[in-house]
Amino acid sequence: MIKKEDLKEYASKLMFDMKDEEYEVLQKEFIYILKNMEAINKIEGIEQITPMTHPFIMTDVFFNDDKVKDCLKTEEVLQNAKEMENNEIKVPKVVG
Amino acid sequence: MEYLDLTIKEMHELLKNGEITPLTLSKAALERAYKYQSDYNSFVTILDDALNAAKDLDDNVDNPLYGIPYALKDNISTKGILTTASSNILKDYVPVFDATVVTKLKEKKAVLIGKTVLDELAMGGSGTTGHTGIVCNPWDKERMIGGSSAGSAAAVALGIVPFALGSDTGDSIRKPAAYGGLVGFKPTYGRISRYGLFPFASSLDHFGCLTRWVEDAAYVIDALKGKDEKDMTSLPDDNKIYSELLDGKVKGKKLFYIKEIIDIDTKDINQEVQATLDNFNFVLEQCKELGIEVEAVSIEKKLLNALHPTYITISCAEVTSNNANLTGIIFGNRQPGDTVDEVMFNTRTDGFSELIKRRFVIGSYVLQKENQEKLFLNACRVRRIIVDKITELFKKYDGLILPATGGIAPKFDQKFDKLLDRYLLLENHLVIGNFGGFPSITIPSGVVSNMPIGVNITGPILKDSEVLNMAYALESQLGYKGIMAKGGNKNV
Amino acid sequence: MYKVVIGLEVHCELKTKAKVFSMGPNIYSEEPNINVATIDLGFPGVLPVVNKTAVEYAIKTALALNCTIPNELVFDRKNYFYPDLPKGYQITQFNKTIGSNGVLIINVDGEDKKVFIKEMHLEEDTASLDHYGSYSLLNYNRAGVPLIEVVTEPCLHNSEEVVTFLEALRSIFLYCDVSEAKSDKGQMRCDVNISLMKDDSKELGTKVELKNINSFNNVKDAIEYEIKRQAEMLDNGEKVIMETRRFDDNKRKTYTMREKVEAVDYKYFMEPNIPIIKIKKDWVNEIKTTIPMLQYERIQLYMNEYGLSRYDATILVKDKEVADFFEKAITYDDDYKKITNWINGVVLGHINKYGLRINEIFITPKMLVELIKLVEDKTISIKQGKEVFYQALQEKKEPIDIVKSANMSQIQDEDYLLKIALEVINENKEVVTEYLNGRDNVLDYLVGQVMKKTKGKANPAKASEILKTEIKKLN
Repeated sequence: MIKKEDLKEYASKLMFDMKDEEYEVLQKEFIYILKNMEAINKIEGIEQITPMTHPFIMTDVFFNDDKVKDCLKTEEVLQNAKEMENNEIKVPKVVG
Repeated sequence: MEYLDLTIKEMHELLKNGEITPLTLSKAALERAYKYQSDYNSFVTILDDALNAAKDLDDNVDNPLYGIPYALKDNISTKGILTTASSNILKDYVPVFDATVVTKLKEKKAVLIGKTVLDELAMGGSGTTGHTGIVCNPWDKERMIGGSSAGSAAAVALGIVPFALGSDTGDSIRKPAAYGGLVGFKPTYGRISRYGLFPFASSLDHFGCLTRWVEDAAYVIDALKGKDEKDMTSLPDDNKIYSELLDGKVKGKKLFYIKEIIDIDTKDINQEVQATLDNFNFVLEQCKELGIEVEAVSIEKKLLNALHPTYITISCAEVTSNNANLTGIIFGNRQPGDTVDEVMFNTRTDGFSELIKRRFVIGSYVLQKENQEKLFLNACRVRRIIVDKITELFKKYDGLILPATGGIAPKFDQKFDKLLDRYLLLENHLVIGNFGGFPSITIPSGVVSNMPIGVNITGPILKDSEVLNMAYALESQLGYKGIMAKGGNKNV
Repeated sequence: MYKVVIGLEVHCELKTKAKVFSMGPNIYSEEPNINVATIDLGFPGVLPVVNKTAVEYAIKTALALNCTIPNELVFDRKNYFYPDLPKGYQITQFNKTIGSNGVLIINVDGEDKKVFIKEMHLEEDTASLDHYGSYSLLNYNRAGVPLIEVVTEPCLHNSEEVVTFLEALRSIFLYCDVSEAKSDKGQMRCDVNISLMKDDSKELGTKVELKNINSFNNVKDAIEYEIKRQAEMLDNGEKVIMETRRFDDNKRKTYTMREKVEAVDYKYFMEPNIPIIKIKKDWVNEIKTTIPMLQYERIQLYMNEYGLSRYDATILVKDKEVADFFEKAITYDDDYKKITNWINGVVLGHINKYGLRINEIFITPKMLVELIKLVEDKTISIKQGKEVFYQALQEKKEPIDIVKSANMSQIQDEDYLLKIALEVINENKEVVTEYLNGRDNVLDYLVGQVMKKTKGKANPAKASEILKTEIKKLN
């Protein structure tokens, strides 16, 4: 069983925290997943298979030409930000 | 005359001959939207401005979607219109750009009526996890309509709009379609550009639509498909008009179903599942009548049992990364903090529900250096084994046919979203369509305990037209075409 | 006592028109947030698109560094949270990089040294974050700008090697015309990984990372300070802490930025929104043909074929345009040494003084060679030659025409020169006496007087001869 403190550590690296009860729910979910993944790991010859990262190979992939086609107005860049100064987005001090 | 109960083609004819105008339809759609909103909660945002949009359209009725009202799942980027993904963290987010599908529908002069409710960030299958409220099944208020495209499904089932767009990462269009008595179609991966779709798992996400007739789905996909220079995974145009290729001629087609999923020991199942399987037999009989051969094929149980955990592993991993942009800095429901880390931390702690956070932790865990090989990459390997197996079978068969679900839409008090529940292969096979990017369609196939159920056909990649045509033929044969939860010509 | 082991990670901005994974403008502007594409902000729903030219520049550079090019183009996500990273991940390359196992030969103190390139990859830059005490401001102009990162093996051992390598690397970027590589504009930045180990030890010492040093001078000073600092610690029996340090421009010292408690896990995985792209051999070969002869090869050529000194050759190849100018000039005449002297002296002196580029000045390689010929066949003196050079630039007239029209032919007429020489001897009796007493160098003064009287037209060698002869007669 994965320790609660470890799960809390993982959550904090993802920049959030959860209620205590939720960590317990998560512990149980992990048991289910890890058990099932163990079964998968036992499938014969699995190490030889190349992992699939896209549903199929595209034969006709295009690149973009070196042209500017997308440039937002400054107002659009800032539109959804909550704090700004001098047309830049403002955040409190960065530590580290 | 309830114009909204008609097919798109019928509405189109009336628009062409001037019997109705876009305003007629939009007005009716908005009326229904408001009428059903408090009971069923389809919408996050209802756009009163649709009336002006309808009025402003030119007179040129130049394509089937001209003047047709529609709805968009609220995880689709709409310029100037609130788009929340039913998450608290985006409750005030107004995009500065349109998704490509939105641009296309604007070009086709369809009229956007509203943005629909989903499971938060599309990460759920019940329609109950979003911050914008739960969606009730139009066929029975005490039941869910599934998810994550819950609101879109409800809107179509209620006849508010003839079509709504949704997204499908594991089954999020095709399952609610079954629970709602609808047609839910997800074409081949890349057929429709994903630019503007808030990503869940990028290698599994598909755009698709919910309608009440297969032909209507064909019109919608015709309007949306095509290569997009903004989406590198989009397919080159196939230069086919799917709606024109629907001829119902399917004699000689061969389908297979997976033995291990259907041939379950009766002592292991309840009445509902039994009824579902009985309905499936009915469907197979109808296939036979159409001249479609259906055979049982065996696939290793080990592989089938791997479907769900593989899906969880891959989708959680990708979604964790895809939602790392939600920090409140450039956009979103920013919370205060003394340092920028605190701002990001507080925004995310406050903005996501607990279910979402649990999924993120799982996703992060499987990607960690020490775990990635055994968890994430092995899941990706199993994905390939499954896809290769199905692709091999598709050399012999034109499609895979299975019940879309293991039963009817669950009641709300049946706990649903913790990972451990309801693990039946019948509930978890639709993800095959996402693993391989295969075109896949659900159509209504029967009624059990007064609730609709559906059947699903999944075909080889790029064979979107063929899959639609098989569904088109079967739809007529089965006798549940165009059913609606309220009014209309329902057979329930 | 200690062996210094240094490895470098050099970032260089490519000069494409658009950014690497978006179609936003890749321009430097003073104004914030005006060169930003939708994708650069990581809004929900945006997708990356790969800029072909950025890939070509990357492949070109990789080839110039003798790297192996993979058969597939693959991008990975590097996941971490930082305010200057809008998506919460950077699209980069981790598993299959655009170049690997390369080498760049540099010359330090007359000896060739191979610097091994571990790998080279293409990635996107972050936004700029400016700190103001209690708050910081974000400008997204830079977000998404294409970067090439070159990672060396830890095979460098002192600041001289490092700076020489950086200069050579910079030249690669300039020769291949993929970047302006200006450090002061932040277009070329360097992270230095440095550790000290005892001479007789087999284990590498603790590695300290010096981050984001932006000028070669700063790199030199940072390394030297750091070597001193670490050596002192080790001398005192202290352990060097594994950490990231920054270099303070003003104090010329390194300071702790953050301690590396444990290595960060970036959870790299393949970018699902970019399909795997085959890199065809034809394409790579096509790109290869666009690479000009590089510095190292040119130095060898100039030394071996043209007999130039390493010193002179090095000056010529510093700037590709200058080297090309030289190579064009020698097609008109094979006096390699003279041409080199004129280029490295008069021409570079002029353009460096005024911050010009050699292709901007009026004089072409052909004109330069003609000018040199006029001096060599003594039609005009060197002094006159230099004057003609400047005049040609100013008036935009060809040197030959200037010489003809100004009637500048050097005075060779011996009788005339004799007359002037005798005048000078007469007017400078004291100097002549000094000369006769053994002070040979005062002859130059007398020659100078002849030049003065002839308004610089006299052939100084001839004048010198005549003066010597006449002065001898006086004795």
